[in-house]
This record gives sequence, C-alpha cells and structure tokens, in this order.
Amino acid sequence: MSNAVIELEKVSKTYGSGAAEVKAVSEVSMTVERGGWVAIMGPSGHGKSTLLQLIGGLDRPSAGRIVLDGSELGTLDAAELAAVRGKKIGFVFQFFNLMPHLTALENVEIALWLGGATHSNGRAMELLERFGLGDKAHHLPSMLSGGQQQRVAIARALANEPDILLMDEPTGNLDSGSEAELLTLLGELNKAGKTLLMVTHNIAVAQRAERVLQVKDGRIVADTRKGKH
Amino acid sequence: MNLGKLVWRNLLRRRGRFIFTLAGVSVGMAAFVALMTIGQGLTTEIKKQAQGLGANLVVTPKGWCAYEQISVLTGEQLPEAIPMSDLEKIRAVPGVKSAVPYLNEKTAFRNQPVPVIGVWPEEMRALQKWGIESGRYFNSPDERGIVVGSAIAKQFKLKPSDEFTVRGKLLPIIGVLREAGSKDDIATFIPLTLAQQIYDVQDKVSFIAVQVSDLEKIEATSLKIQEVANVAVVTDKQLLSSVLSIVGSVGAAMQAVAAVGVLAAAFGIVNTLLTAVHERRREIGILQALGSTRRTLFLAFMLESGLYGLLGGILGVTIGILAAYLFGSYLTDNAFTASLHQSQTVAIDYGTILLTMGFSVCLALLAGLYPAYRATKLSPVEAMRHV
Ligand SMILES: Nc1ncnc2c1ncn2[C@@H]1O[C@H](COP(=O)(O)OP(=O)(O)OP(=O)(O)O)[C@@H](O)[C@H]1O
Ligand SMILES: [Mg+2]
Repeated sequence: MSNAVIELEKVSKTYGSGAAEVKAVSEVSMTVERGGWVAIMGPSGHGKSTLLQLIGGLDRPSAGRIVLDGSELGTLDAAELAAVRGKKIGFVFQFFNLMPHLTALENVEIALWLGGATHSNGRAMELLERFGLGDKAHHLPSMLSGGQQQRVAIARALANEPDILLMDEPTGNLDSGSEAELLTLLGELNKAGKTLLMVTHNIAVAQRAERVLQVKDGRIVADTRKGKH
Repeated sequence: MNLGKLVWRNLLRRRGRFIFTLAGVSVGMAAFVALMTIGQGLTTEIKKQAQGLGANLVVTPKGWCAYEQISVLTGEQLPEAIPMSDLEKIRAVPGVKSAVPYLNEKTAFRNQPVPVIGVWPEEMRALQKWGIESGRYFNSPDERGIVVGSAIAKQFKLKPSDEFTVRGKLLPIIGVLREAGSKDDIATFIPLTLAQQIYDVQDKVSFIAVQVSDLEKIEATSLKIQEVANVAVVTDKQLLSSVLSIVGSVGAAMQAVAAVGVLAAAFGIVNTLLTAVHERRREIGILQALGSTRRTLFLAFMLESGLYGLLGGILGVTIGILAAYLFGSYLTDNAFTASLHQSQTVAIDYGTILLTMGFSVCLALLAGLYPAYRATKLSPVEAMRHV
C-alpha cells in the first residue's frame, strides 16, 4: 500500500488508571489510501472520536504508531505536530466547532493565519461564498443555523487546502435538506482528491463513503468496501 | 486575522469584567503616581526652604526633636529657650561671621493663624536679601511696626499704613515684602525686642541662624559654639537630611499603601485571566486543532495581560496626576508643609510617568505568566470534551 496517506499500527489509547481505566482505542491497525472516503460507525462511547483525534494529532496514543502522509507523528515535537494540524489536516468537530465571539469570516481567517497562509486576502470570503455563506460572513455563530455553522466549519477546515479532512458527525445536527447539500459537497471534495474520514451514526450518510469501518469497544470489527466509481 | 486582533477581541468580549479589572489596575497605578508625584514635590520644596534659610549652622536649644527642626524650615511656632546672653557669646566665637536670632510666634488675625517672627531687621534683611513690594522696611531695630509677606498681604488685602494686630496689640503695617517663593511670603516680621515684649519672653529667642566665615572650619566652629553656650548645633545639611528622612518615612508609608493597591490590581489580572482560560478552554482546543502552537497561546494571553497593564497604566497616570493636583494639598497639609505653597508640592515629571507605565506593564506581564502557562498546558482534546 504505497499510496497510504494514513497508517495506524496497533494504536491504543487508555484514559485514566487503575479502576477508572478506560481503553478507548485498543490495538487498531488500518490504512487509508490517498483520495479515499472512509466512514466510521459504531455505538456511542466506543472510541470513534478518540480514534479521529489520534489520527489528527490532537492527542498522542498510549501505544502504537501513526504515520500521516509519510511522517510519523510520534517523532514530532509539539510545534511540528501543531504545524501538521494546521497545514495537512482539516478538522470538523462533533461539538463546539466555531469560535463564538468571532464572525463566520473571522473563523475562517483565523485558520488561515494559524496555518501560516501568507497571501490570504479574499480567500476566506471566497470559501464562504463557495459554501453559500457570502451574506453571512459578518454574522456571529450564534446568529447562524446549525447547518450554516457546520458549513462555516467545513470552509474553515479547508482554508489551508489540507489533504486530509477529519469530520466527527458532520451531519449530526442537520436537517435532511442540508445533509444532502453537505454530502454533495463532500463528494466534490473527494473527487478533487481530498482524503475524507468521517464519523457518523447515520447509515445513509455512511453509504456515501466508499468504505465503512465498524468500531466496537475500541476495535475495528468490520471493514466494508463497496465498489464505487 | 492576526494575534493582535484575536487578543483585542478577546479582551473586549466580557465588557464588565474588562472594565472592572482595568479599573483595578488604573486605581492602583493612580495611587502610585499620585504619591510619587506628591512626594517628589514635597522633597523639592523642602530643599528650597533649606536654601532660603541662608545659614550654615542652626543653633537650637538642647533636646530638640526632628519635628521642631522641621519648624525651623517652615516657620512654625517654636518654644523660646535660648537666652540673649548666649547669643552674645556665640557672636563672639571666632569663625562666626554672623548670628541672627529668630523668635517664632503665632497670632490670630481675622481668625486665621499667622506666623509672627521676631528678627533683627538689618541683619535679617542682609541675610535674606528681601525686596520691598510696597511701603518701606524698618528704619530702626526697635521700630513699632510690622512688615508682612506678600502672600499674607494678598490673603488679607493689606497695604502699608493698614493696621495689624499681634496678640491684641495694634501695629501699623510699614511695608510688604516682595514675593520670595518661600515661607517668608506667608509670615509677618516684627523687631525682636518688640516681639519679646508682646509675647512676654524677655531675653529669649527660639533659634539662631549662623553664617560661618570659613566653610572648611564649620565643624570646629560648631564645637566652639557648643563650648561657650549650652546649646545644640546642626548644620544646614544635617537639618535638611533629618527633615527629608521624616518626609521620606511618611512617603514610604504612603507608598506601602499604594503598593498594596497595585498588588491587589495584579491579582485582579491573574484572576480575570485564569477565569478567561477556563472559559475559553474549548476555543483553545479549536485553536490548537487549527494549528496554533503553545507559544502562540502563551503569547496571546501575555499580550492580553500586557494590554491590561498598558491601558491601566495610561488611565492610572492620568487619574493619578489629576488626583495629585486636586488632593495633593490636602494630603500634604500637615505641620511639615502647612506653610508651603500648595501647588508647589505637586511635581510632574516624565521620569515618573515612564516609570509608572513600565512598572504597570511589567507587573501585568508578571501577572499574566501563570494564566498563560495554564493555557499552554491544556490538551486540545481535553479542551473539547463536551461536558
Ligand atoms: N479525556 C477522557 N478521559 C477519560 N475518558 C475518556 C476521555 N475521552 C474519552 N473517554 C472515554 O473513552 C471512550 C470513548 O470515547 P469517544 O468520545 O471516543 O466515544 P465516541 O465513540 O466518539 O462516542 P459518541 O458516538 O458518543 O461521540 C468513552 O468511554 C469515553 O468515556
Ligand atoms: Mg464522538
């Protein structure tokens, strides 16, 4: 699998210790090819978000190896890891996606700044317009609907043109209309070459991906590929 | 978007907390500035008065405390304790160029206390180089009349040939002194013999100002004086330093109070920022996910803290200087300074302003260290847990 952009080798994550010990992820090995679209499903509390956070370098595994686009995360120092998060990965979180006191536009701009974009003039606005949010650019998140907030979050995740998009329940609080819109959008991004990894509880949404991983008790218990064109 | 903009937005997002924290810093720094300003003004003024004394040595009764020494500079009422016979002996000591007596008394004029000082007219005028604003000076050493300082003349609207009462005795005003910018402006002068008569202190004076003919031998002259008469002698420098040390210790006490205020303000910043770190922990997680390094987070909180110091410093300096002008005269209105011109006790200098600003910013940065450190210790995951 020379074309792997994400590689996990016996990755485990344990929270707490003693009686309170929780093995959120245990010995997960998997690879995701460049340009792939993978959905992760599984019951609540079984380690899906934790897995995504480990892959995205937000947390370090208790054991195992994670290689992202050729660089092993375990060998990077805090600043290098921050750079990976800023440039290589775009995140869309399950909760609390946006900075509440910054406008939609500023939320995108802040990602550009932190990702080290030098000539970002107008890019933030372009992104918002692309997601149909041009007229909401100067609104605070609290003035936007759930679907609009999610789109801002995706625009922000794409700000630094990352190769990998990690999404935790991106359609979690969207109505069916917005959900369809978002899935179309994700399809386009995938076609454009982005690697997508998304956690979802929604089978219909998972079906849009070309591969579905089932997670249970911190392990991958099923890996279904469907022939997609 | 950049660090400055992010910090500015963060600073202003909780208006109430921002304003109260800033108010704390401003008040603390204002107290600091006000006391520095007043203290410096006072010191400058006392030095000026000491020069105005025009003497190298001051002869006082034995056992005078510093408080009484201060009154030599301010013209306050003093006990009369040195006999005239001692004065004659001192005048005869070799190395004494001149020795002039002072009898410091007080009278009430139109219900206001006014210093009345008994002097030798000729010798005094030579020593003080007084000018005459209107009227004339004493013609003889025991002329029955009074010469008043310029501020007294202004305060009571007095002019030559008006009458002045000293302890119930009517005295004609002979002349008004030209403004000297010293305590002489707010005193009145009568011949020593007349003063001794009115105050019924035959043959006694309060203290004696001595000029020596050779400054090199000032120590020897001082010792000689103490041999011939049962008195204490201080040099003008000793007098000045003992007065300044008292003012200094009063100043130090006031500065300690200001320091407490400043410290409280610093804790206010720590408190506000710690609350902010806690409140924003999710955002801190988002920032980290977006690529923020710990260094950036640290800088953001330090900058926020520094801004409290800078803004608080600017406001504090402004308020402090205003307060020094408005209340400086009340704060320093005591026996040390009762006779000083009120506005003269306030001295504004750029050194103080810069010192205060720098102090304010440094203190705020110091206060920001711990909260900023706490922010960098937040794990991005921890910060985003939804409970
Ligand atoms: N910081 C933490 N400290 C302790 N336990 C944790 C921590 N984070 C996660 N866990 C535990 O690890 C397990 C996996 O959590 P995770 O958030 O990955 O689940 P999930 O599959 O994303 O669930 P959901 O579908 O509800 O979002 C849970 O039992 C959770 O309680
Ligand atoms: Mg989850």
